[in-house]
Amino acid sequence: MQSLQQSQAANNQSEPDAPPKQVAQAMERLNQAARVIADIRLGADRILEAMFVASNPRHNDVPLQLFLREDASMRQHLQDLRSIGKKLEESGVLTASLRSRSNSWGLHMPLVCPDGAVVAYAWKRQLAGQAGASAVDRTRLALKAFTDQKRRFFPHIDDGHKMEPGSKKRRASHSLLEHGGEELVECKTLPDIQSRLEKLVPNVKVSTYGRLSWLKRASSLPESGSDDDPSEASKPIFQSSSKMRSGLQSEEVVDKVAVIELSFPSVFRAVVSLNPAGSVDPDAVAFFSLDEGGSYLHARGFSVHHVYKHITEHAATALQYFLGFGSGTALYSLLLWICSFESLFSKPCSKCGKLLAMDKKSALILPPLHRAYQELPLAVNLSVCEAYHAGCSPDDS
Amino acid sequence: MPVKWVLYWQPNQGSTVSTQILNEAAQCAESISGVKEGRWKATLNYYKPLLRDQSSTHHPDSLPRDFLGISLPDHPAKYYFIIRSQRIVVEADASIQIIMEKLQSYKSKVSLHFDGFQYHLGDFRLRVGRVVPVHSESIRGIVMEVEYLPISSMEKARKVMEEFVEIWHEALSKRSLSGKFVNVELNFGEFGLADNYTPQHTGVQYAIVMAHMIATVQPAVRG
Repeated sequence: MQSLQQSQAANNQSEPDAPPKQVAQAMERLNQAARVIADIRLGADRILEAMFVASNPRHNDVPLQLFLREDASMRQHLQDLRSIGKKLEESGVLTASLRSRSNSWGLHMPLVCPDGAVVAYAWKRQLAGQAGASAVDRTRLALKAFTDQKRRFFPHIDDGHKMEPGSKKRRASHSLLEHGGEELVECKTLPDIQSRLEKLVPNVKVSTYGRLSWLKRASSLPESGSDDDPSEASKPIFQSSSKMRSGLQSEEVVDKVAVIELSFPSVFRAVVSLNPAGSVDPDAVAFFSLDEGGSYLHARGFSVHHVYKHITEHAATALQYFLGFGSGTALYSLLLWICSFESLFSKPCSKCGKLLAMDKKSALILPPLHRAYQELPLAVNLSVCEAYHAGCSPDDS
Repeated sequence: MPVKWVLYWQPNQGSTVSTQILNEAAQCAESISGVKEGRWKATLNYYKPLLRDQSSTHHPDSLPRDFLGISLPDHPAKYYFIIRSQRIVVEADASIQIIMEKLQSYKSKVSLHFDGFQYHLGDFRLRVGRVVPVHSESIRGIVMEVEYLPISSMEKARKVMEEFVEIWHEALSKRSLSGKFVNVELNFGEFGLADNYTPQHTGVQYAIVMAHMIATVQPAVRG
């Protein structure tokens, strides 16, 4: 009797649900995950409030109780998120393991890419698109809220920007931008940006990809020898990768550009992700060696080499600066700034005059990893991007 | 493949090589935040032709005397042949040594081991090792391999490697040793090698280093 029940229970678990149910369950779980993430964001806000109140000398118990309560609820949320994550992993949403298992219903499980973007397609595209977009948007809002909170409550923590002298310069630059930014206005679309960049920087190789085609390319890198003919790269810019989807009905899905790859032969490869796909808004950038390959090669991944890891961290600060400038110049500024690293292994530091220096913080011998970015959004060429070692940089506090 | 430079220890006039220099070099690596990673070992063989027929058409002197074969620790399945005077380098399967033994056409006249410790310094990998003839403990020389992992282009890595060697020299000079590590400039193009680094580049560097060492370094009387 008991064994029958057990085997029944086991059967229920192992009997596969019909594909539409699987997809619906996966979407439902992704929605749940998004809600839990939003709860975590709110919980984080409350914890910060509690800590702020606690920092005021009041000698009563209230902030402590608040903090303990929020701590408990936060742990619960994280636990919930973990269990949802486990279920998603089992159903193949977080890996591509089920993609090859195409079923006769012509459906596909939604896929969460290594860098966190959700790709959902096939006949539930609209619903999936909404869920995916809202999950990513909520995360962005969470990050923005957290950064604002941090600046408000902990202004003394250095976040890589010198606020006082820099902000004056930026205000002046902003007005300049309003009046004289004609050249920048030209670069509103991706093809314009790409062609302008290629004219200014002759050695750079720029390629664009949809999110899935980048995933495929990253996993097949590094190619033996030189990588001069990536079959998935687009020329022209917007490419349709409908051949990757089997079982689509009448409408053809155009895989919008979500990843830009910038490379200089023998120096480095940089990956920039655009969010939302098809726009000109960058949201992450990472640097890698040309000899690296694998699915960890994406805009939120990290190289195995120290030099590229450190540049990626520095690039995150530069990206925030360019985004703060507004008026849609962020992508062009970022790509131009990335090009200044062509001289990574040849241009000595502008302060100490050497190429290599021992970095005190990490005890590593590194070339100048910093390139000045403050002047860039209004500059016409890369000469304003001075090279510095992390320890020699004037920004270093 | 990451770019690698092979340097050798050149003692000052009148000094000899010794294990002491190896220890000092190891300590020097640790002083610039190197992390010891373990040992490494390579083997090099000098071949001489075995002429069965005295009246053969080949005069023994016309056959190359600097034909050597080297096995590299990073590529255990391969064996590399170099004839330095003819600027030839060839990659073969490691099993070719068995064939050579069977054919008995070339016999190893001198066999050398390179062994020592390996260090990681961030994106650099350093190997320091002594050169000892097989079945002997007397040190013939000291070699040092410097590898820069992020780059595989010789040209692009040049400045980085030069500055690293400078930093290394500076650190080593504090220990007042009687000699220095020397890098031999060579034209890889003459060997048919391109800018992208390969194990053949390593083989050629070792061949050149050995030639210089034999010419300039006096063997130690006692190891």
